[in-house]
Amino acid sequence: MSTKGTQIPEWLKVPFAGITPAPTQEKGQDLFPTGNWRSIRPVYRDKLPPCNNACGTNEKIQGYLDLVKRGKYLDAYALIKEDMPFPSVTGRVCYHPCEQACNRGKYDEAISIRAVERFLGDLGQALAKDVVKPGKPNGKKVAVVGSGPAGHSAAYQLARLGYAVTIFEKSPKAGGLNRGGIPDWVLPQDVLDREIERLVELGITIKTNVEVGKDVTWDQLKKDFDACVLAVGLIDPQSVRAEGEDKPGVHYGLPFLRDIGMGTSKLKLGSRVAVIGGGNTAIDCAREALRQGAVEVTMITVEANPQEMPASPEDLHDMLEEGVELMHGRAVTAVLGNGRIAALQLHPARFSGAINASPINVDKEAKPERFPVDNVIIAVGQRASLQWLPDEFKTERGTIKIDPFGRLGDTNFFAAGDVVQLGSGQPLMVVNAVGDGKRVAFNLDKVMRGEKLEPRTIPVDVIFDLNRMNMTYFPHFPRVKQELLPPTSRRKTQEEVIQAYTEEQAVEEANRCFSCGTCNACDNCYLVCPEPCIVRDVRSNGLYKILVDYCKGCRVCIEECPTGCLEGVPELDFETGVVRMDTAFAISPGLHGRQAEELKHLDERAAKNI
Amino acid sequence: MATATDVKKRMVRINGCVASAQAAKYADVDVIAAYPIRPYTATMMALAQMVANGELDAEYIVADSEHSQLSISHGASSSGARVFTGSSGVGVQFAYELYSPISGSRMPVQMMIADRTLDPPGDFGSEHTDALSTRDMGWLMGWSCDAQEAFDNHLMAYRVGEDPRVLLPQMVCQDGFFVSHITGDVELPDTGQVREFLPPYKHPYPLDPRHPVSHGPQIMPEQGPPLQLERARAMEGSMPVIEEVHEEFAKIFGRKYDPWLEEFMTDDAEVVFFLQGAHAVTARFAIKHMRDRGMKVGMVRLRTIRPYPTERVRQALSKFKVVGVIETNMGLGSVSSGGVLYSEVCAALYESERKPLVVSFMAGMGGEAIVLKEFYWMTEKMLEAQKRGKIEKRTHWVGFEH
Repeated sequence: MSTKGTQIPEWLKVPFAGITPAPTQEKGQDLFPTGNWRSIRPVYRDKLPPCNNACGTNEKIQGYLDLVKRGKYLDAYALIKEDMPFPSVTGRVCYHPCEQACNRGKYDEAISIRAVERFLGDLGQALAKDVVKPGKPNGKKVAVVGSGPAGHSAAYQLARLGYAVTIFEKSPKAGGLNRGGIPDWVLPQDVLDREIERLVELGITIKTNVEVGKDVTWDQLKKDFDACVLAVGLIDPQSVRAEGEDKPGVHYGLPFLRDIGMGTSKLKLGSRVAVIGGGNTAIDCAREALRQGAVEVTMITVEANPQEMPASPEDLHDMLEEGVELMHGRAVTAVLGNGRIAALQLHPARFSGAINASPINVDKEAKPERFPVDNVIIAVGQRASLQWLPDEFKTERGTIKIDPFGRLGDTNFFAAGDVVQLGSGQPLMVVNAVGDGKRVAFNLDKVMRGEKLEPRTIPVDVIFDLNRMNMTYFPHFPRVKQELLPPTSRRKTQEEVIQAYTEEQAVEEANRCFSCGTCNACDNCYLVCPEPCIVRDVRSNGLYKILVDYCKGCRVCIEECPTGCLEGVPELDFETGVVRMDTAFAISPGLHGRQAEELKHLDERAAKNI
Repeated sequence: MATATDVKKRMVRINGCVASAQAAKYADVDVIAAYPIRPYTATMMALAQMVANGELDAEYIVADSEHSQLSISHGASSSGARVFTGSSGVGVQFAYELYSPISGSRMPVQMMIADRTLDPPGDFGSEHTDALSTRDMGWLMGWSCDAQEAFDNHLMAYRVGEDPRVLLPQMVCQDGFFVSHITGDVELPDTGQVREFLPPYKHPYPLDPRHPVSHGPQIMPEQGPPLQLERARAMEGSMPVIEEVHEEFAKIFGRKYDPWLEEFMTDDAEVVFFLQGAHAVTARFAIKHMRDRGMKVGMVRLRTIRPYPTERVRQALSKFKVVGVIETNMGLGSVSSGGVLYSEVCAALYESERKPLVVSFMAGMGGEAIVLKEFYWMTEKMLEAQKRGKIEKRTHWVGFEH
């Protein structure tokens, strides 16, 4: 009898035929720690979703879409408000670079992020009290010059950081470009008013009709405040340098929109209006012209076709639907007429180099064209008005000179928004100004606290390749369309053209989000793990915990992670938390000590009377 | 207590396949895992009829391969069911992966084997290599030599394998054709006798949602040997149980088998055949005939090869002058360069003080019958060796030599 006299040491005793108590959700398989078989460890490592990455102010878009999916609208609103003071505004006006970056765009249609943002923004507007609270006062005073998107954003973040903020606004009403540059039928005045009220609720003082350099000087700002953010924007319109440009009936884009926005416009347009320029402001002007009584509106651009126009394709489409005509490849060389405008003289023109980034060549040799009009609106950009600024801080291109952190030399002055971004390659858009204002506010805070400003060096991992996710989990599903007023009726009113999402629509659209690279607690890893090595009651690395004593590194959870959040990391990258491979054959009796206890209970489970 | 005399028994004339099916029916199996391959298929055909006729209440699962058959059997047994399955030849081989897991998890699955030669080529004849190749996988194993013995062995194997002291799977083997397809008289017992002999199957740790346990979890390398030791203990521990069960079987059914060896005309024999299975029937006849001519020849038939009765084999064979092992199996490149039984015999005799000469006969290969003439020829070879005091060579290929 070969087995006669054999003994199994207590610490090596295994249950009958290796039959063990069932694994539990809380502890997994408590016997036989097999973690040391693993060469790859699953790790929840959130990537930066491409939408967050593309957003001018890096809104946590994936995060709030996920909260909307779960019906947690207030949490979603609070999350948006970390980076964006006025989602109700950007939910209407933003050119949504997030949607261009959205991975779903490569799959079927991008998520309508702006529409969901507007849904949340409007929800915030309806709150009696905002969820955002001012920071604990730190006794420091900051002046913010300008109440446009950049100034608004900087003031908002500074108030949250505990600064006593005063905003100086040149116009009679706060809002800057949000008010003066965006027509009512895109952004109703009362929506903006409510957002301005929110700033006051945060304890911010807003002084209107105060112009820097006139009512408040550089030296006063320096003396009366600990720091200052200059967000004065671009005020003076660019000229097209055409003969007769000073004739009555010639208007400029932003002042044209601003006077209507401020309610101070007294102008009456004739029936034929030409808009010069191919950008977003030009489009707004053309559409506003229709609403101001014009019958025929023509947009004249140097760009040779609609694709070259530096404008949002959506807005262009809506404009054409309203009946605006396009005329490409021409420059205005003279405004003709005796006293009043009668016509424009046009010459063929094209950019000398890169589209929209090089001087314009006008072919003066060609036969001029006569284009009869009653009014012309010139919308070819703006420049800064910086007479009040010490020369040392002026750049050659007429903007404010700053360091990479938005700071003017070693002063406590910072600048943000269009006034620094013009010509920098950054798009001059609301959301970019908001982001700039936010970053400058945090940089200013660092300087105030005596910290060193350092460029961020953490590399970001953004999922651009759908293969990094498991697309089997995402059925194709069309985008929820926002309703638009019909073109024929909307071209004569100031009513909002684009309609808001209902709650159901917002949830349906948010549900389409892939959550690219980010754990959204879908439970898939928890369900597919062949052994209960993933627990969700105790969460550590991300929204779940992996029991490293038992996970054998089979990779099923990694492969089946829909969003690509789970990654396989070589086990040798870890120092702790695992029975290492090299101890597999010299395991301590302690590990098996736990078995002894379990074994006692196993007997109780045996069927009786056999 | 029912006895062999006062119960309702009946004699039927059936073949080995049907006898096995009848045994499964009498054992009231819960799950049958079937997949066809000749010659054992007739067993599953008979069982299918029984289930269809309502004679037997069992889950009859037609698997998609032998591997699945054994997987189904493993799972069904884990859940506490009494399982019957079977196969032949290459089918036995195809399920090979499952043999160790089933015995390792101590599931008393029963598998009926009607032997078939392994390829090449496709040969329907009997040869024991199919089942013998799995002999060290922890399954109880033995051969029957006729339909009645097959019937009886099935019942006894269930009783031994399901004993809580044992808990091991069993291969109940019979020669293809020679047993599986030749009809013989079989006494079918009274169901009350079977109920008394074979209590319902009860595994101590079945898979049961009310008492959840894990079967077959992964373990640390050093935790493997204790499990192997336990399995070895179970195999050795089955020996007294096998003896007990044979005693009790005799009491209830009236047929007494030696659990290990059948000895035929060995009392004064000087040379003996050592074999398993159906060729013993021809051997008995040949021996009687040779006895009439004064040759002191006998036969020892191995009834249970796993666990291997080493002591009994040594005691039984030590008293002879020459042992002729009839292999009926392939052991290519083995000790004798013939079959595998030779080494089992020699190893058992190694510690004997009186060692007989041992010679191996490759006979009954490929399903060929071992005819009387060949038994005479083999006997001559043994007697020559006895006279010479030395074997001519270890292995003879019967039918290919003068």
